[in-house]
Amino acid sequence: MPCRCNARLVRAMEKNLSSHVFDQLVRPHFDRLFRLAYHLTPSKPEAEDLFQELLIKAFGKLDELADIEEPGAWLSRVMYNLFVDQHRRFARQRMHIVAESQLPGDGLEGLPGGDDPVANNERRQRLTRLDAALQQLSEEQRIVVLLHDTEGYKIKEIQELTGTPAGTVKSRLHRARARLREILVADGTFS
Amino acid sequence: MNRTDDQANLDEERQLLDLLKDYPMPEATAGFYDQALVRAARISSRRQRNRWVMTGFGSAIAAGIVLAFVNGLFFNAPNVPQIDSDIPGVTMALAEPQTVNLVFSSAEALDAATLTVLLPDGVELAGFPGQREISWETNLAAGKNLLPLKLIALTPHGGEVLARLQHNDRDRTFRLRIEVG
Repeated sequence: MPCRCNARLVRAMEKNLSSHVFDQLVRPHFDRLFRLAYHLTPSKPEAEDLFQELLIKAFGKLDELADIEEPGAWLSRVMYNLFVDQHRRFARQRMHIVAESQLPGDGLEGLPGGDDPVANNERRQRLTRLDAALQQLSEEQRIVVLLHDTEGYKIKEIQELTGTPAGTVKSRLHRARARLREILVADGTFS
Repeated sequence: MNRTDDQANLDEERQLLDLLKDYPMPEATAGFYDQALVRAARISSRRQRNRWVMTGFGSAIAAGIVLAFVNGLFFNAPNVPQIDSDIPGVTMALAEPQTVNLVFSSAEALDAATLTVLLPDGVELAGFPGQREISWETNLAAGKNLLPLKLIALTPHGGEVLARLQHNDRDRTFRLRIEVG
């Protein structure tokens, strides 16, 4: 009869191996995934929660993940679906979690500055106004414009991520830019 | 549209794209990625174990448990930590205060609404040590109303926080799953 302690040891080794394999598969995509989480939610605490939920879900699908050619794209889609599921649930209940930063932005706090304080201040003001303008867009428009114009996603990538037809993605992008321009002209950001 | 308008539009578009490229991103909290990996392995394994245990009960018994829980949701504070992965959740670190913000969306302003927060064992609201039910009256504006809850997990068990909003004969309860990683 095999020794029980050996069985425990094997289980522990399997668990360590799984964690190691998982780490190797997902870590190269962390920064991009965190940026995606931030643009979806859009706040740092919520982004960290969404990121955490993604890892929990992905760890449970390690076998599937190991066979996937482009784990980054797969992880992004799982994250987007998690976000949509949570969002739909919250919307149905008409109560949902947000972070304090529906106010302008976590990203503005640690904004690195150059040597010129006047230029720094001007840049901060322009970005704060952009942040406020982004809050006035619909969620779909905000996500598309940030992924495309800030993160450099291609239309096809956004289409695959969100499952939205390319024509709709383009139309959202066009409308988002037009609305942002309208707001930023009206508040004097663009002379 | 004349040439000057075209030029102005192009100029605004260029300024907008420059500004969007410059839009800042916060970095994840130091050490967050490593902690997230460790928690993922632990929580994922635990959920998997729970799933296997539930499967063994059979669907009829499982349905009974769900009904009992929903029934209890509106009338009792939860006595036992409940973990339900189908409701929104946050992962907290043990003994570290964390602010969770709830948004109550209301189509109209509500005067003298009652808000009640029910906490599971081992989770406290900062400033209310030892209290599992905190209730107060408040006025809600039309639109979104933010309720920041500074929570502290004192044990690793987690559970569910219930936030109940009552106004006249209307009653709505929001469930929040707490996991401690």
